[in-house]
Amino acid sequence: MSRAWHAPAGAFLLALVAGALAFRLDNYQAFVLGEVGITAIIGIGLNVLIGLSGQMSIGHVAFQAVGAYAVALVTSAFPGLFWPALVLGTLLAAVIGGLLALPAVRLSGPYLAMITIAAAFVIEHAIIAWKELTGGASGIANVAEMPLPWPYQGGASAQALAAVILGIASALFAAYAWFRASPTGLALVAVRGSETAAASIGLDPVRLKCLAFAISAGLAGLAGGLFAPLAGFISPETFPLSASILYVLAVMMGGAGATLGPLYGALVVVVLPELLAGLAEYRLLFVGGLLLIVLLIAPDGIAGTLERTWRLWRPARARHLSAPPLDLAAFLGHQAAPPPGAPALEAMGLGIAFGGLRAVENLAFAAAARAVTALIGPNGAGKSTALNLLSGFYRADSGSIRLAGSVVGDPAARHLARSGLARGFQTVLLFDALSAAENVLVALHRQGARRPGAAELAVQLLRCVGFEGDPTAPAAGLAQRERRQVEIARALALRPRVLLLDEPAAGLTVAERTPLGTLIRSIAAAGVAVVLVEHDLKLVMGLSDHVVVLDQGRVIAQGSPEAVRANPTVRAAYLGTAATSAAARHPAVATGAETMLNVVGLSAGYGGASVVRDVSFEVRAGEMLAILGANGAGKSTLLSAIVGLKRPQTGVVELAGATLSGLSAAAIAARGLVLVPEGRQVFPELSVLDNLRLGAFARRAWPEGAELEAVFERFPRLRERARQRAGLLSGGEQQMLAIARGLLARPRVLLLDEPSLGLAPQVAERLFADLAQLAAEGLTMVLVDQMASLALAVADRGIVLENGRIVRAGQAAALAADSALASAYLGGAAPGSAALVL
Amino acid sequence: MLLGASIVSGLAIGAMYGLLALGYHVTWVVSRSVNFAQGSVMMLGAVLAFSLTVGFGWPMPAALPVALAGCAAFGVVLERVAVRPFRVRGSDSWLMATVAAGMLLENAALFLFGKEPRGMPSSLAAEPLTVFGVGVLPLQIVILVAGVGLALIFVAVTRGTPYGKALLAVVQNPRAAQLMGIDAARVTVFAYALSSALAGLAGILIAPLYSVSADMGFVFGIKGFAAAILGGLENPWGVVLAGLLLGLAEALTTAFAGSAATVMASFGLVILALYLRPHGLFGRAGVRKV
Repeated sequence: MSRAWHAPAGAFLLALVAGALAFRLDNYQAFVLGEVGITAIIGIGLNVLIGLSGQMSIGHVAFQAVGAYAVALVTSAFPGLFWPALVLGTLLAAVIGGLLALPAVRLSGPYLAMITIAAAFVIEHAIIAWKELTGGASGIANVAEMPLPWPYQGGASAQALAAVILGIASALFAAYAWFRASPTGLALVAVRGSETAAASIGLDPVRLKCLAFAISAGLAGLAGGLFAPLAGFISPETFPLSASILYVLAVMMGGAGATLGPLYGALVVVVLPELLAGLAEYRLLFVGGLLLIVLLIAPDGIAGTLERTWRLWRPARARHLSAPPLDLAAFLGHQAAPPPGAPALEAMGLGIAFGGLRAVENLAFAAAARAVTALIGPNGAGKSTALNLLSGFYRADSGSIRLAGSVVGDPAARHLARSGLARGFQTVLLFDALSAAENVLVALHRQGARRPGAAELAVQLLRCVGFEGDPTAPAAGLAQRERRQVEIARALALRPRVLLLDEPAAGLTVAERTPLGTLIRSIAAAGVAVVLVEHDLKLVMGLSDHVVVLDQGRVIAQGSPEAVRANPTVRAAYLGTAATSAAARHPAVATGAETMLNVVGLSAGYGGASVVRDVSFEVRAGEMLAILGANGAGKSTLLSAIVGLKRPQTGVVELAGATLSGLSAAAIAARGLVLVPEGRQVFPELSVLDNLRLGAFARRAWPEGAELEAVFERFPRLRERARQRAGLLSGGEQQMLAIARGLLARPRVLLLDEPSLGLAPQVAERLFADLAQLAAEGLTMVLVDQMASLALAVADRGIVLENGRIVRAGQAAALAADSALASAYLGGAAPGSAALVL
Repeated sequence: MLLGASIVSGLAIGAMYGLLALGYHVTWVVSRSVNFAQGSVMMLGAVLAFSLTVGFGWPMPAALPVALAGCAAFGVVLERVAVRPFRVRGSDSWLMATVAAGMLLENAALFLFGKEPRGMPSSLAAEPLTVFGVGVLPLQIVILVAGVGLALIFVAVTRGTPYGKALLAVVQNPRAAQLMGIDAARVTVFAYALSSALAGLAGILIAPLYSVSADMGFVFGIKGFAAAILGGLENPWGVVLAGLLLGLAEALTTAFAGSAATVMASFGLVILALYLRPHGLFGRAGVRKV
């Protein structure tokens, strides 16, 4: 904040220079300079809209026309009322803009662009049609002169006008810099970054976007009002739609979001064509080409390029702001105990269905203040859905939520956020365009924290959750652990009574999990009711006071960690029944069988870093190979590289002796190497039937009748849902669909990435029995699965990855018998080793 | 009499909006991007056809495919230069980039083709037929048949054939589509070529009724886009129907309230419709699971 004087000082300097310059120019040059100022003012408004709130308008010239006509009409009747007329025009444009935004902000992209274009046309033709008032197409010629704010002989010359316009523009540049850092400005950037996260801290995206629209329309109106006396004559033709496009170009060329971007843009758009006098006629051609080039090679515009060049000279130093330690309990102010008997959060019979499937049913539990309550359950049990219900991101079909004893009337996310409920997201949602400290600051502003103290408080909160990095660094560049910390700090900034965390340990190394546990305990100790969804059961059991176990959308048990651990129903839900290990292994493949898939020295990764290093293995015809390893060992990356979704850094993949190097993923699929990807990789808007049929597209077939019937035999659930949109299926059903689709490709080699993820235990067992059956029928397969003992039970051989390298390989039975291997690589996810799970 | 004539001309121009809108729809369903230079491509079609037939004396049946191929080629280049680089980065800048490409095309035509509008002779627009007492140009019927017929074909192809489904699959999950052997990049290029050819066809069909000039496409492009938005972008039926509706509304307003009110009425309709139905008259919100 020590740089607060930069903007006003810079603006003053800019105004001084521009003023001095204006009086040295001839009339025409001064007019051009005035136009630069006007374009810059509209650009500043559009910068609020495009740069801060991320919306687009191709109709702003209409607001300019509104301002111009307001000034022209008022001053032609009352020549003395220029300044009041200017204010009127600005307000009028802002009001029209705000009203127009009401439908527009619910829309995005092309819909929004259309509304703005349509509005521009309507306003233009309304001006033409309303002849009595506006003079119609012939316009208004007797625009009164601008009364100068200083005594000047001979009326307002073009030079004086240009100086006044540039003075106003300079002040607006400073105002923009101030606004960008103000609570509202930060909130706008936050909404652009993630509307979901913005709602979770209580921001109202619709109101904010309307405000941005109104501000930008108002500034266009102001620019129009200043333009009227400069031009002396206005008509509908003065404000063609192409001018709107020119203004947007100016902002994007200058660098959307950058304070001085509109100035650079205005100079390029207005002055450059004037300088190249012979090219004046080619202005649009010139600007169009230039814009395309700027968009292609310098997406952050002139301002961004200047900034980067400057950084080459003077690299930004990481700043390690220190702040006195924060007393979290005092900050939260929850010392006053909640009323006895009323827990901080109560779920009372919450339920929700997606497309007929009950994802969560009759969810009832209570979370007490100063305690950690954990929601656990197998994959697909409905834990995240429950969290989304509690935080208002899903609207429950039944049941209600009580906060501190009283029922929440309107459980929309942003209302809950304002009533003391904060949350984190499974995939951390930060406002990437803001710095770490600003992420926290946006939430602090929701608490009405005063600005000077708030900045320090934000840093204090970051330090409090263990964030050791540079608080001024952009959130986009932070490591996973730091992102998680910033998200927790942002949630704490709301002074919540209840904090919901969705898998906070996801993506953290084992070493990073201990401090996370300590932090969560300390947050609870400060008076917060913490509700936790987490897969790492070791962490959960050591941390929680109360554990709620979900399975298939229902609470199957709750109580202390010890009680839950001993509960037989819970054990069955997690481990499946004994039938699992009975999956039959087919006879060993003859060693003489030909090599179907041969991977030699494969490395792959992201950017320069390798996630998979020098992996070689082969799979013979009819064989099933299991690839094992902990989360993050590189299994999915390896599969992506094999099927061409990711270009390998080195190495070769051969299918039945033919190299696949250089082929696209589509071409590789067409050759019969088919991957069933991890997660919900279906086509959500197509029917289940069409999804299945597209499985055969790789071999350019369109299966009907008997072939589909065979699939439905295997997956009867899909038959029931054949005509439904695939997006409406549950996670488990989508997984079945993906596998069935893979089978319809009639692959020569089928790769399966985590096929059992999200399946209920019985379904998973059935699936593995099916896989064993397919293997017995002679299909060559590569299987990656968390359920390692199941995978090894059906596979012939296995390889184990650690940090992207193969560390073990061998017969499946031998690997399965190696208990040291199981505990080292399979961690808590290995069924059949109960001690590890609970 | 006036009513009949207005309906005929409204449907014809509406079918033309429908063709343009179908072009926006095609690229949208495949790539979630649209070509804002669509109006300029329409002009390109008309200018190419004019130059080949009037300038070089080609017969129309020969000029038509060449002009359409020229438009499709422009679509391919535009996708490569002004759309793909931005979609790869996950940026929305294709919007302004295609606007810029349109400006370039329009100005290039201005220099090469000249400023003055020229009349395009056509035997189909010479003698009006009388249908139920209303004078109808054969060309107006051709436009209507082409617009509705192409929409029909498009719906039949996307709803009923593997290739159509593959087209729809690409935008829904490009990664999975590749795993099904669908080349997402090639499908997008194809969509841009098709979309541009549709725009070119609209330009060629409409040319004899208006005139051929470098700036003829701008307003048509925007109105075609209005039809696409009004129809809901997702729905091939919807966009063509909305085009017809828009054309009718325009023709009737012109006939009964004067041409000054036309633009206000048609674009006012667009704003009002989006107030009431944010996803268009015939669109619906997609499946949304947070």
